[in-house]
Amino acid sequence: MINLGQYLPGETVVHCLDPRVKIVAVVLMSLLIFTAPAAGIVLISLFLASVLATAHLSLAQTVSAVRPVAIFMTLIFLMHLFLTEGLPLLSLAPLPLRITQEGLAQGAYVTWQFACLVIVAAILTMTTLPSDLVGGIERLLRPLQRVGIPSQDIAVMISMALRFMPMLLEEYERLRMAQMARGADFTTGSLALRIRALAALTVPLLLSAFRRADELALAMEARGYRRGPRTTLRELKLSGMDFAAFAVMAAFVLINFGLRVIA
Amino acid sequence: MIRVEDLFYRYDQEAPDVLRGVSLTLAEGSHTALIGPNGCGKTTLIKHLNALLFPTAGSVSVDGMKTIDTASVREIRRRVGMVFQNPESQIVGMTVEEDVAFGPGNLALPPAEIRRRVDDCLKMVGMTGLEKRAPHTLSGGEKRLLSIAGVLAMDPRYIAFDEPTAYLDPAGKQRVLEIIRRLHREGLAIIHIAHDMRDVADADRIVVMDQGAILIEGTPAEVFGHAGLLKSVGLDIPAGIGHE
Repeated sequence: MINLGQYLPGETVVHCLDPRVKIVAVVLMSLLIFTAPAAGIVLISLFLASVLATAHLSLAQTVSAVRPVAIFMTLIFLMHLFLTEGLPLLSLAPLPLRITQEGLAQGAYVTWQFACLVIVAAILTMTTLPSDLVGGIERLLRPLQRVGIPSQDIAVMISMALRFMPMLLEEYERLRMAQMARGADFTTGSLALRIRALAALTVPLLLSAFRRADELALAMEARGYRRGPRTTLRELKLSGMDFAAFAVMAAFVLINFGLRVIA
Repeated sequence: MIRVEDLFYRYDQEAPDVLRGVSLTLAEGSHTALIGPNGCGKTTLIKHLNALLFPTAGSVSVDGMKTIDTASVREIRRRVGMVFQNPESQIVGMTVEEDVAFGPGNLALPPAEIRRRVDDCLKMVGMTGLEKRAPHTLSGGEKRLLSIAGVLAMDPRYIAFDEPTAYLDPAGKQRVLEIIRRLHREGLAIIHIAHDMRDVADADRIVVMDQGAILIEGTPAEVFGHAGLLKSVGLDIPAGIGHE
């Protein structure tokens, strides 16, 4: 399974916060990180470290959340390292590449900035149940219903997609096994052959997905689903803790911008 | 009471009739078994009971409300629950409890009432403690039980089960049959499509269908008395029940 910051159950303050507060916090933090100078990133890193500690998320868990994007981070780093003009540190002659002092600094800064963005998103997904996340998105979008954006339908769609992802993966595995049992080979042979073998999986997988979608639509109708207002098991409610957390967050953002103005 | 009167149905204008003049009454609190060979129209028939399909000719009414009356559809779907054959494609929630909450949510019930129904229904099917589990981590039997809990949460008066014991091991099968018996004792009307006649030997009434029409109907004793007729449509009476 794709493991980009999967939910880790817990009882910490961060886990218990209203998902809306966390989503807004992620948006604010992302803006802050995008626009932060190097010194600001250091401050933000310290802040993130304290949030991670509060949420009882270990270094190993954080690293594993970042790992899927490690290859992008490496690429970003290398591009800045080699492509920034400035004081040469090391020349890789005869290759037309050289590492500059500015490149090293810029690469480290941009890569760290990227890592911070990923960690912010990972804190959200590691401490929030997917269903709460969808509920939070729905509630935040609800004012847009007035301009015709069906927030509740969007929420049902997202949760349906999340529900069916593992099912499609299982189905894929089942089809692959069934074809292997009849002599299909997905691991050897030329690239063209292997692509053809995979294509033979795609068609039945799509067909079964459509069939399931039909059955699902029928089952949803049978259980009274229709567009329009519906209620959910948990109605979100902001507590004192949520307001406190939001205040801390807002203060941090203001201090950051304040420091930038002074500098 | 559900009343099916001279029901004809075809999926397409040009297609042949799948149901050919079915008339049937299902009283409140009754337990009716529906049996017949594959493709005889059992599933098509029960889809008419909660307005998922509409008659090509004839009519279906639930407690006096006609299914073709669009204003009644919502109430009909609340009163007549439907447990489909494949539990996998009727589970819509990301967690067990949210799946059970889907139906009551569609009825726009307040969260406290949804909570109460979720807890009651999960208890009814013996799944208390699995509330937060993701559906894909459940066993086949548990998925089946969850699909039943999801329908119960609508607080229906009638429930149609489409081969509820398919794909289950003997223990899972017994568990589902026990739940169906308990629901019947509590006053729900049961409509039960089955392949194995042992599963429905305790029904009040058995309706045998063949080629879109009702072949025989009566008490289990009456129906099992027609062994020859049953055999002619490929249905065998298992040893130990019936009279012959």
